[in-house]
This record gives sequence, structure tokens and C-alpha cells, in this order.
Amino acid sequence: MKKLLLLLLITGFGYIGVAQQTQKTLDKTNINHFFTCSLDQMLDTLSRNYHLDIVYERDSISKFDIAEHFFNESLTFVLTKVCRDNSLHYWIESDGAIYILQNTDDLARLKQLNALRRTSLGNVKSMIEAPKGPPTHFMFSVTGHVVDHASGEPLPGATIQIRKTTLSASANTDGDFTIFNVPSDTSVVEVSFSGYQHEYVRLNAKNINGTLTIAMFKALNTLNEVTILGKKSGVMNTDTKKVGVLQLSPASLDKLPNMGEKDILRAFQLMPGVGATNESSSGAYVRGGTPDQNLVLFDGFTIYQVDHLYGFFSAFNSNAVKDVQLYKGGFSSEYGGRLSSVTEINGKDGNHNEANFGVDLSLLSVNAFAETPINSNSSLIVAFRRSYQGPLYNQIFKQFNTSTVTGGPGGGPAGRRSPGGGGFGVSTTPASHFYDADIKYNYRVSQNNTLTWSFYNGADKTDNSRTLQLPAFISSGGGLNITDVTQYGNTGSSIKWFSQWTKQLHSNTYITYSSYFNDRIRSTAGSNTDVNGVTTNFQNGTSEKNNLQDVGVKSNWEWQFSNQFKFLFGGYGSLQKINYSYVQNDTSILIDQHNRAFSGGGFAELEIDPTSKLHIQPGVRSTWFQPTGKLYTEPRLSASYVINDNYTLKAATGEFYQFMNEVTREDIVNGSRNFWVLSNNSNIPVSEAKHYMGGISYENNQFLIDVEGYYKTLSGLTQYSIRQTAGGLAAPISIEQNFYTGTGKAKGIEILIQKKLGNYTGWLGYTLADAENKFAVYGNSYYPADQDVTHEFKAINMYHYYRWNFSAVFIFSTGHPYTAPLSTYTITTPDGNTSTSYNVSGKNTLRYPDYHRLDLSATYDLIKINGNKIGSIGLSLFNVYNHTNIWYREFQLQNNAAVTTDVNYLGFTPNLTLSLRWK
Amino acid sequence: MEITIRYIKTILSIGLTVLVLSACKKDSSNANSVYLPVVEGYLVPGNTISVKLYQQKSLADTSKYGLPLTGVKVYVSDGSQSIQLAETIAGTYMHADQNFLVAGKTYTLQFNYLTYSVSAKTVMPARPVSFTTQYTGLTITTPSTPTTAGITLDKLSWDNPDSVNHVLVFNNLDGSGFPFGNPRGNRQINFQVNTNNASYYNITQNIFSYYGHYKVVLLRVNQEYTDLIKSNTSGSTSQNLANIPTNVVNGYGIFTAMQADTLNFNVF
Repeated sequence: MKKLLLLLLITGFGYIGVAQQTQKTLDKTNINHFFTCSLDQMLDTLSRNYHLDIVYERDSISKFDIAEHFFNESLTFVLTKVCRDNSLHYWIESDGAIYILQNTDDLARLKQLNALRRTSLGNVKSMIEAPKGPPTHFMFSVTGHVVDHASGEPLPGATIQIRKTTLSASANTDGDFTIFNVPSDTSVVEVSFSGYQHEYVRLNAKNINGTLTIAMFKALNTLNEVTILGKKSGVMNTDTKKVGVLQLSPASLDKLPNMGEKDILRAFQLMPGVGATNESSSGAYVRGGTPDQNLVLFDGFTIYQVDHLYGFFSAFNSNAVKDVQLYKGGFSSEYGGRLSSVTEINGKDGNHNEANFGVDLSLLSVNAFAETPINSNSSLIVAFRRSYQGPLYNQIFKQFNTSTVTGGPGGGPAGRRSPGGGGFGVSTTPASHFYDADIKYNYRVSQNNTLTWSFYNGADKTDNSRTLQLPAFISSGGGLNITDVTQYGNTGSSIKWFSQWTKQLHSNTYITYSSYFNDRIRSTAGSNTDVNGVTTNFQNGTSEKNNLQDVGVKSNWEWQFSNQFKFLFGGYGSLQKINYSYVQNDTSILIDQHNRAFSGGGFAELEIDPTSKLHIQPGVRSTWFQPTGKLYTEPRLSASYVINDNYTLKAATGEFYQFMNEVTREDIVNGSRNFWVLSNNSNIPVSEAKHYMGGISYENNQFLIDVEGYYKTLSGLTQYSIRQTAGGLAAPISIEQNFYTGTGKAKGIEILIQKKLGNYTGWLGYTLADAENKFAVYGNSYYPADQDVTHEFKAINMYHYYRWNFSAVFIFSTGHPYTAPLSTYTITTPDGNTSTSYNVSGKNTLRYPDYHRLDLSATYDLIKINGNKIGSIGLSLFNVYNHTNIWYREFQLQNNAAVTTDVNYLGFTPNLTLSLRWK
Repeated sequence: MEITIRYIKTILSIGLTVLVLSACKKDSSNANSVYLPVVEGYLVPGNTISVKLYQQKSLADTSKYGLPLTGVKVYVSDGSQSIQLAETIAGTYMHADQNFLVAGKTYTLQFNYLTYSVSAKTVMPARPVSFTTQYTGLTITTPSTPTTAGITLDKLSWDNPDSVNHVLVFNNLDGSGFPFGNPRGNRQINFQVNTNNASYYNITQNIFSYYGHYKVVLLRVNQEYTDLIKSNTSGSTSQNLANIPTNVVNGYGIFTAMQADTLNFNVF
């Protein structure tokens, strides 16, 4: 074991030695010297005396004079001191060279200069060590692990290539990779990853036996790269093999405009195919789908409520997130249970090497994290954020919590104000906040086995409780205590066991738990003293509770038996329990449902690469769903073909089933409530979708152009309506629940044009789409679905100027469809009163005005003397020209006329963000 | 040459078919529906048959009713005999023969308006049976509190073995003369209560806002009527808007038959 560790250390540090050595020299070398010279002369002296490769521009550096006496100070201190005194930075590249920079952007130029200088001196210092001797091993396989040098955090998605061959691989979520048929043990492994410097490892007879640990150095943070990639740069990586995959690394989210919080789900909405105009939902509207058709997995467990604050923020703290993938459709048979798309979020493991902490402050929330190694085998990360009720919070809260019914209903024959609403016209400011917490503990049991425990908890709470003094005409004393508390949130946890059985076979086994709750309690309690002094206590109100529990086990296996074949398979089982109760006055139970369902099954998928150009991925997934007692089999297929270095063709198809739905109980007075229901054998069918997708992409060093088209059919869709009927003023309340079943179809074309490099980067996205539903309750023909948007155009522009990053995001979309009254009519009822009704337009036949807005942001990077980024200050302006975008319309009958009120999305809103990292 | 002509013919016929098919595609918008007439007709044995016809109102219109539809030939048929109603007041069409309405028969309303053939069907229910009250009146203790408001003070009952629809109508014969201390909101003097297919109704004090002599009418009604009163237009949003159910074909409103039984009741 010790030997193994030693080997690991050697192999691990063999390749990163150069930069490490430089840092060591700087730390360990103490100097006693009195410098009275120009800075360039001083640097030359240091370079000569300590064999350091210091690169600078003599013209500019020679202007600085040094008159300093150093008494036994480390070279690190000396460099930091002279750089700080002269407003310079130094930066150690992975090849060990020290660059002295006036501006961090000068690095690229200096590196070229250095290369030229070396060439002219005939002193070409190779990054790659020379082979130790003639090759002794041929056609073997190599496995490895790619990590960040500073934190030890795995780097999923890193591209690994055997130099001068077509052999390549991409690191999986654990940072691991395997390459077969490596020609010889003198080959060079080249590793690249966005935001990191290239790393080269020379293979030898020893290191091919173990696991290569490749630690990558961060690139100087101002490197101009687009970090949201429809497709990674690089010709040979798995992304060209997949259709409709978006990847995001949260580290650079601060370069985009944000509304109070860096938000991973909002960032995806800037890409084509993901709806960007639903400010009231962080959930993903992917390719005509709804958020409940998008599976959200966080470290293996499902998150059922992805929103905070009425949907304005997503429930995920970007500081605790390592990477996110969004599969826009046609996804692998590894995933199932949703019709539209999959969002897979992987949490950070925590720093394996040193403790670090950071804090983000904005006008909305405070967000802090800490990560630390516990011992040599384990690490821990804790992240927490909480909103505070500042002006920004209140503005958003007000926007999304409009209680516009003030005049009281009436007019409708059964018009009735729900209990608890309003209340003598007293307006109060509710106490409201959200929070979420992430904890992750990572323990490396042995070299081939890792256990990870991940925990997530987040909730929103709105407390509108208040005390009312009863007016004298109602009571001669006493008061009313009105309780009005709304809470919703998630708790989820998983234990993951990663095991590398052989070089070719590894598995991830999860035990998962996820729960979701959404409760609203409104009650009125008080006492009443009559004229005789007799006091009576009373209490009434309603309580509505929906909770869901999901316990599951799953095991995913990956067996790579050659460069051409990879076999993925696994099994899963889960038990879901949903309770929904709606109780009035503690006694009258309106709804009381307890449903549970067991489902289980397995999947198998083959990744075939017959040539380096063709990739075929057939798969199948079979799930047995207990409430219907049926087996649901979903065939899947995706393929890609690399035409040449620039062009790739790709396609995917598949069948998808969904066994649970999120439905909405509409409540105009008190706000609509969302809850989850399970499919059953009677009124809620298992829904099904079929996807057909294809695309072509063109990529060169500067640009990426990606065009994809899709067609989807959906059946067994469910809509819910609940009608609370009180036949008159005080008749017993009854509930009428209706589940409507329908079908749908969606089609569209997405175009992405992305500029990947340079000071100016960004992308243009355009989507032409159509989403239609057919529900018998609305007629026999297809109508535009609520989320249907015909044209959607997004322009994301980022400009980098030294330590500044500016961005401008413009979004335009066709208005959403809606239904409106066309006219009214009034008749007299037998009691002599009148009843006025609307003549309503066809379902969703009208459109709101077009949605558009411009967001701007400016971010200033805080950079330490040694070039490490330790934070940023950002200013974001949301909806700069204050365009009025309509969320929905309300119709009220007043004085026999119908009054229309627009409920709008947010207008112009500025925000400031401060982000700090200890290291 | 012949081939070319055949080719052109084929293309033409395909083009024509596409054109015809697309022309047949049903327009899902119903903008023309604003011209459909509004019907208000209650058939109650013992009462004169009366059907009122209105136009719809524009959204901004503040008048109570739409304009009356005059000069329409309105027919009601019981399956064997069809009678034409006479327009007595503008937009109100009546027939005085009270023997025309019989329990169990199906009545059909029919008239033409603009290009629409408008019709509606309803079945006359049987008369309510054994409508009784536990007490002939009740005493209100003011002030009302949330606790006292919910206490049952009287029970109305009737026979309803088949759980058919009944509605109670409370008519205050004294009008608005004797309000409670401070009637809240826009409480109505006369009101109706859906009894949800029960055979009884528990009276609580909070349904009343006025003292006085009440005439309580028990109506045995059809489903189309309970559908109408269960629907609630007030305070709708574009997210949940749907048409109120109607049994009128090519029109809105209601044409329904009902039978009544009455008792008296006092609130002091």
C-alpha cells in the first residue's frame, strides 16, 4: 500500500514538477541583498543567481527603480513586495517561467516573446520530458484521473489525447478516463480543459501500470474563453458525439449579468432551445417542454422544487456546484422518468489540499462557503446562503406576490371570498426569506473506492401572520390572531460509492433520498367578549399540505472493453410517497390523498465507435411501475458522424415515459399552488414522449455554428383543475377535482453562432419553435401550449478589457399565448339577482406583446499580486430600458364592466455583487 | 407531351386537394362568438313561460344587461306540440298556457338569429316532496362571531332518495328594511344556496344580513343550472379562464326547467 502511495506521489508529481519547483525555489530561498538598481537589473540578478526563468518586457520594467534592503526574506516575499510597490503582478506558468506583468492581459504577448527569445537563443525548453529510453510496452491501456492542482477537485470534461494519434477520451464526472491501444510507453498524453493550462505527460514503463494523476494548473483568470459551451472546443471530445447537450462550469458565471445571485439554471436559459422569458420560473422550458418534464438531479437525487422566491432564483448555490449538464432531449438510457430533458448537477467535492473559504454579498443575499481537507483521504465542503429582506428582495417579492383582489368578489352567482384573504383592509408586509445549504463529504476509502455523502436542504418561508384588533361594532373586546404561513422546500441526500473494479470497469452506486413539501396554513384564532362579559374562544382556517418522499437505490456501471466499445448498464428502484391534504377548520377534510408507488428497472447502453469518425449509441431502458402493474420499455438511439475537422452530423431519437406530474391548483385570491401527483390506473395516465432530433455543427478555432432541429410527440399529458364550490353563502364547501388528459406535439429549429476566442466573445441564439396541446376540455383541435413561443432570439455579448468584464444580454421573444374574455353577458337568476359571465376566446388564441429586455453588467476582477483571482465586484442592470413585459392578465368585473389588469414582470432593477475568496 | 400534361394535371389536382384541405381546417379562434345571442329562460309549472333574449355586452359596457333581441320568432316544443312565444316587451317572449309544462317532458327552444340556428333542450323535473322546516323562525344573536356564525339554528329537509339537484332561494319579503347592525360588504337581500344533492340544509345565522319575513323556495333543478351557479367568473386570470357551461347551442345563457315548493320563515 505504501509503495502504491509512493508510486502515486511520484506519478502525480512527476509532470507538475516544473512549476512546483519554481514555487518551491521562491519559498525556500532566502536572500540578503541591498538592491539599488532598476527593476530589470534586479530581476536579471535573481534569474541568474537562482536559475529562475523570469520573463518581462525590458522597455517598461526598466523604468522602475529599486532601492531596497532585504534581510533574510524569501524570494516570494521579495517578488510580492517589488510587484506591489510598482503595481505589477507576477504569474508562474506551468512550465515554471515567472512572468512579470503590468496587466494580466499581457501574458499571451509575453509568452510569445519568451518562445521567440528561447528559439533565438537556441534554448528551446520543452514542456515535455524526454523519453527515458526506447519503448518497451506496446498496445496497452492507460487509465488516469484529472484534477485541479490547487484543490484536488476532479475536472470532468477534460480532454485527454495521445499525441500524434486519433486516440482520445474525455474525463467523466469523477475526472477519470481510460484509453486503449496506446501505441507505446514513450507516447505523450496531452490534457486540455477550459480555464486550465495544457498539461503534457510522457508515459514510461512504470507509470502505465498505475493510475495517472494529472494535476492541472489554472490559466491566468483573464484568459478569454467562453465558458458556456454548446460544444467544447477541440475536435475529438465526446461532445461532438452528442446531440443537444449543454455544459456549464459555474466558476465564470460572474461574467454574465445576474439578478442578485449567480444562477446556473438562469444561465442555461441564455442558450437556444431553453425558454428565457419565464421570469416566474427557474425551471427549464426545454424544446416546448414544461419544467416538470425536466429531470433535475443533484449528486444523484431528484430535486422536485427548483425555485426560490416565486421562481426568480434557482434552488442551487453555484458556489457548491462543480459542473452542470443539460440534455435537451434524446438523452441516454441512463436517465428516465421525464419527457423532455435532464439537468444533471454535480456538487463540488471540496478542496483536498488546503482549506479555503469565500463569501458573496449582494443586495439580495449572503452566500458563504468553506472547504477543507479533513485528512489525506477526505474532504468536506459546506455552503450556505440566505436572503435578507432588503429593497431588492422586497421589489421581487412584491412583483411575484401580488394580491390584487381588493374589491372583493361578487357578481358571480357563487362569488365567495376565500377565508383568511384580505381581512378588514389591513395591509401588512409579510416576513419572507429563503435559504439553502449544501454539505458534501468525500472519503477515499482506497485507491479504487470512494464514498461521497451529499446533503441538500433549502426552503422558502413566507409568514404573513398578524394580529387584528376587532372593530368595536363587531366585538366589545379581544382580537384576532391571523396565522398565514407558506413554506416550501426540499431536502435531499445521497451516498455514492464509486468503485474502480478493474482498469476497464467501474461503478457508481447510490442510495438516494429526496423529499419535497409545500404547505400553507391560514387560520384565525381569537376570543370574543360579549356584553355580559362572557369570553368565547374560537379558531378556524384552512391548512393545505403536499409532501413527497422519494427513496431510491441505483447502480450505474461502465465497462469499456476497447476503444470501440463501451457498455453502460445499471439498475434502479425507488419508492415514492405523495400526501396531499386540504383541511378546513380542523374538521372538514376536503382532500386527503395518500399515494405511493414503487418503480424499478434497468438500462443498458452500448457506445460504439467503429471508426474515429462514427459514434453510435443504442440503448434501452425498462421500468416496471407498480400502480399500473405494467412494464414500460424505452428504446433510445443517438449517433454522430464527423465529416471532417470542421463539420459534425448528429442525431438522436427515443421514447420516454413519465410517472408523475406537477399540477397547479389555481387560487386567484391566495396564489396558485403547485403540487406533485403520481400516475395511476384511472384518471392520471402515464405520459409518453417520442423525440426525433438531428443537427449539424461547424467549428473552427474562432467560431462554432450549431444547427439542430427537433420534433416531439407527447401523449397522456395531465392538466388539473380544482373547483371549490360553495353553493351559496354558507353552504358546506365541496371540492371538485378534475384531471384532464391530452396530447401534445412540439417542433423547432435552433441556431447557435458562437465566438469562442478573443477579447470579444459571446453567442447569438435563435429558436423557431412550435408547441401545441390538445385537451378535449378545450375542444378537438390543437391549440398553442402555454409555453409556446414562436421566435426567440438571444444575443450574449461579453467584452474583456484588462481586469474588467462587460456583458450585454439581449433577449427577444414572441409573446406567450393567453386566453381572454371577448365579451360579457348577464342573466337574472331565480332569486332575482344577476349573474354575469364572460364569453371566453378560444384556448390560447391571443398573444401577449413581444417580450424583450436588455441586461448589462460590469465586473471588476480582484487579483492578488501573484495573479490568482480572489474575487470580483459586479454591477448588474436588469431590464435596462425598463420594458414592460406581461406575466399574465387579470379580469375583474366592476360596475358590470370587465376591467383588465396586467401583472408585469420586473422592470429596471440594478444590483451590486461582491464576491471574495480566501485563496 | 402527353406525359407533361398528365404531370401538370397531377400537380394541379394535388395542389387543389391541399388548398381544399387547408381551407377546411377549422379556425380555432372564435372571434365571431361575440355575435351569439344570450338566452335566459326558466320553465316553472304554474308560471308563465318567459324567455328573454339579449345581445352580449362589450367588455367596457357598464349597463346591467345587453340590448334586447327583438323581432325573433321563438318556438318551444314539448316533442309533440310546438308553440310560438309572443314578444310582449322588447326582447321578452312569453306564452301564458300553464298546462303546457308537465313533469318528465323534454322541452326544446328553437329560434334563428343572424346566420345561427339557436336551440336548447331541458327536461322538466318532478315537484319537490316533503319540504319542511324544523322551526318556523330563528332569533339572531348579534354580534356575530366566527364561532356563533357556524352554529346550526334550523334544519330544512325534503325527500331526495335519488340525490338530485336542489337549490334553495331565500326571498326577504321585507326587502332591505331591517339590516343587521352593520351588514358587511355587498350582502344580498335575496340569495340562493346550492344544496349539493343533499336532502337537508342546515341554516346558520351568517347566511343572513337582514331580519324579516322570508319566503324560502326549494327548487328541484337540472344539472345545467347547477353547472351555471357553480361557475365563478369573478376575479379570473388569463391563466385559468374558461367558458361558463351553457346548454344553449349557438348561444350563451340558460334554458332550463325547474319545479318549486315554498315555505315561510322568519328571522328576528
